[in-house]
Amino acid sequence: MQKLFTRLFPILLVLLLAGFVQAKTMKLAMDADPVSLDPHMQLSGGMLQYSHMVFDPLVRWTKETSIEGRLAEKWERKDEKTVRFFLKKGVKFHSGNELTAADVIWTVKRLKDSVDFKGIFEQFEIPVQVDKYTVDIITKVPYPLLINTATYIFPMDSQFYSGTDAKGTDKGVINKTGYSFANDNASGTGKYTVVERQQGVKVVFKEFKGYWDEASPGNVEEIVLTPIKNDATRVAALLSGDVDFIMPVPPQDMDRIEKASNVKLVTMSGTRIITLQLNQQRVEAFKNEKVRQAIVYAINNAGIAKKLMKGRATVGGQNSPNGYLGYNADLTPRYDLKKAKQLMKDAGYEKGFEISMIAPNNRYVNDEKIAEAAASMLGKIGIKVNLKTMPKAQYWDKFDEQVADVQMIGWHSDTEDTGNFFEFLLMCPNKETGYGQYNSGHYCNAEVDALTLAVQSETDDVKRTAMLKKMEKIAYDEAAFVPLHWQDLSWAGKTNLQIAPIVNVMNFPYFGDLVIE
Amino acid sequence: MMTFAGFKDSFLWYSFKRDKIAIISLLVLVLLVMVAVFAPLVAPYDPYDPEMIDIMNSEIPPVWEDGGEKAFVLGTDSQGRDMLSTMIYGMRVSLIIGFGAVALQAILGVFIGLFAGYHGGFLDSFFMRAADVQLSFSYLMVAIFMSAILQAIVGVARFGEIAVPFLILVIGFSQWPQYARTVRASVLAERNKEYVEAARVAGFPSAQIIIKQIFPNTLSPILVLSTIQVANAVMSEAALSFLGLGMPIDRPSLGSLINSGFEFIFSGAWWITALPGLLLVILVLSINMLGDFLRDVFNPKLYKG
Repeated sequence: MQKLFTRLFPILLVLLLAGFVQAKTMKLAMDADPVSLDPHMQLSGGMLQYSHMVFDPLVRWTKETSIEGRLAEKWERKDEKTVRFFLKKGVKFHSGNELTAADVIWTVKRLKDSVDFKGIFEQFEIPVQVDKYTVDIITKVPYPLLINTATYIFPMDSQFYSGTDAKGTDKGVINKTGYSFANDNASGTGKYTVVERQQGVKVVFKEFKGYWDEASPGNVEEIVLTPIKNDATRVAALLSGDVDFIMPVPPQDMDRIEKASNVKLVTMSGTRIITLQLNQQRVEAFKNEKVRQAIVYAINNAGIAKKLMKGRATVGGQNSPNGYLGYNADLTPRYDLKKAKQLMKDAGYEKGFEISMIAPNNRYVNDEKIAEAAASMLGKIGIKVNLKTMPKAQYWDKFDEQVADVQMIGWHSDTEDTGNFFEFLLMCPNKETGYGQYNSGHYCNAEVDALTLAVQSETDDVKRTAMLKKMEKIAYDEAAFVPLHWQDLSWAGKTNLQIAPIVNVMNFPYFGDLVIE
Repeated sequence: MMTFAGFKDSFLWYSFKRDKIAIISLLVLVLLVMVAVFAPLVAPYDPYDPEMIDIMNSEIPPVWEDGGEKAFVLGTDSQGRDMLSTMIYGMRVSLIIGFGAVALQAILGVFIGLFAGYHGGFLDSFFMRAADVQLSFSYLMVAIFMSAILQAIVGVARFGEIAVPFLILVIGFSQWPQYARTVRASVLAERNKEYVEAARVAGFPSAQIIIKQIFPNTLSPILVLSTIQVANAVMSEAALSFLGLGMPIDRPSLGSLINSGFEFIFSGAWWITALPGLLLVILVLSINMLGDFLRDVFNPKLYKG
C-alpha cells in the first residue's frame, strides 16, 4: 500500500499542479461594483455589465454593432409587430432549471414592471409562447428597434424567483431601496455565478460548470472584482500587477499606461453623452429659455474635453454621437461667455441667483472634476452653485429624489438609436409609461413627445432620420439640457489578456469570452 | 494674572530662549496662522471667485519647471486654480477645523477625565462606559448619521455652508474619549500621591484640588495627544470630504486638496498633491515640535528632578 502511494504521489502532485495552472483567475478592478444582484433593479451601465456576466441576453451586439444570437438560436420576423425567437435547447440556469419560453415571458413581464426598464419595454406586449422553446415577442405598434431592445432581455430563472422567501416576501419583487430576494440572490444562464459578495469591497465570480456556450474561447474560471474608486490607486494596482484588468482608465494616466511594457491600453470613442439637467420645477429661472441658453453658452465644454479629459472625449452639442441616425451636424457646441452674460441680462437675471448641484464621483470619467469645473463656469455668469458630489451608490437615490437643482447624468442609448435619449431624458416624465424616467430637468415639450412616439413606429429610415434630427434641433434651440461631451471608452490590462475582442462601444465587456494566454 | 515682566522671569521663557527648535517652530506656526488668518490679503487670487478660474489654465506647473508661468508661482490645479492661493485658503479651513475639533475634544475629554478619575465610583463608570460606546463605532458612522439628519433638515444646497461647524462637531464629539481616557489614567496615578493628600488635609475643595494640583501634572500627555489629534482631525476632515460629507469640493481644505491631487501623481502633475502635502507636513511638524517643547517645560518631574 505504502509503495503504491509513493509511486502514485508524484503523479498526483503533477496532476494537482496542472489543475492549479489551468485555473485562471482574473482580478478585475472597476470604479464601482454592482449595486445589486437584481438585473432589473437599475438601468445602468454597471448593472448591464454585471448582467452580461451572470445572465445571457437573447441576442447581443457584436463589436461591429451587428446582432448575434445568444440564448436565441435564431429569430425571424413574422409580421411588422412580431418577431419569433427560437431558444437554444438544453440551456441550464445556475439553479439547474432548464431555460424555456416561460422564463422569457416571465422576464419581459418583470421588465415591464421595473421602474427603470418599463420605458424601454413600453411598446412591448406580453410575449406569447409557441412551444416550449419558441416564443413570439410582440409590440403594440410596428417597432423597428425590437431586435435592438431584445439585447436587454436577459432571461431570469422564473422558478427560482417565484414563491416567497424566508421573510415571507415575494421572491420576484423589485425593490430599489431596501431588501429583496433578487437583490441578494441570482440565478441566470451566464458563465459566472456570484459566490461571494461584500458590497463595496469585492465580488467573486466563479465559472458555472454547466455553462451552455462551449464554443466560446473564454478560459477565465474565476473573476475577482474589486471596486477601486480612486483613479490613481486603480492605475497603480494594474501597474504593480495587483490586478489584471482595469476599467475605466483615467485620461490623465493613459499616456503612462501606453508607455508601460507590461500592460496595454484599449480605447474606443464612446457614445455616452454626459449632460447636466436643469430642474425647471425646482428653479423658476430655469423655466426661462434664455436662462437655459445662457447656461449652455457659459459652459466651456470644449475646454473640459481638452483639459480635464485630456482630449479623450468628443465635445458635444446634442445627444446623438456622430454615426447615429439623429446626429445633426449643424448642432455644434456653443461656448461664448459674452453672449451668456448678455442672455442673463436679457432674461432679467443680471444679478444672478443661487442653485444647488449634485454629481456622482465614481460613475463617469472625471465626473467630479467636470461638475466642479461646470460650477465655477456658472459662477462667471452670476449663478452661484452649491455643489455636492457623492459615490454612485448614494447618488442615484438622490437623483431620483431630485434633491438638487442641477443634476449630472450620462446616457448611452440602450438601443443604439437617438430615440432612446429622448424617451428617458427629455420626454415629459410619466410614471405610468416610464417615459422621462431620468428627466430630472422636467423639460416638457408636446412636440418632442409626439415626435419621439411617432418615430418609434416609423420604419422608413429616411423619415426616421429627418424626425430624429428635428428632435435634436428642438432640444438644442430650447436648451433643454446642457450637453458636455461623449466620453471615450477605455480599458487596460496585462499583455497576456486579449482585451480587444471582448470590448465594444456599449462598454459591456464580454468577460465570458476573455482569453488569458 | 501673570504680568509681562513675570513672564520674562518665568521658567517657560527661560527655556524657550534656549531652545532653537521651539523658536523656529513657533515662528513657522505663527507665520502660517497669520497667513491663514489674513488669507484674502496675502493670496494672489481668490480661489472661491469663479471669475478668477479658467479651465484653460489647468495643470500649469510651478514657475521653476518647464512651462511654468509667472502668474501662477506654484502652478495651478486641474481646475485652473492658482495652487498658492488655494493652499492658503485650504490651510485656513484645515486650521479652523483642526484646532476647533481638538479644542472641543480637549475641553470635553479633560473635564470628564479629571472628574471621573478623581471621584471614581458611579461617575467614573458612567463616563467610561459612555467612552466605550463612543469608541466602539467609528467617527465615520457618527458623521454619516449626523450628516444624513442635517441634510434632511437644511437640504443638500445649504449643507456646504454649515460644513465647517458640522465637521468640528463631528470630529470633536467622536474623539473625546481619547482625552478622557488619557487624563483619567494620569489622574488615577496622581490622586493618591502625597501632595494631593496634603491638599486634601489642608481642606481645599475638590474642584480646586483637581484643577490646581492634579491638572498641571496631567498636562504633558494632554499636550502630546493634542499635537497628534490636530493632525488626526485634519486627516479625518480629508476623509469625510472625500466621502462627500465634508467640505464642498469647490472649497477645498488642505486635506481634500492633497486627496484630489493624488489622482495626478502618475501623470506628472506632482505639484497638485505634493505642495499641499509639504505645507501640511510643515504645519503638523511645527505643532508637534512646540508640543514637545511644552511637554518638557510643563512636566514638573523633568525640571525639578
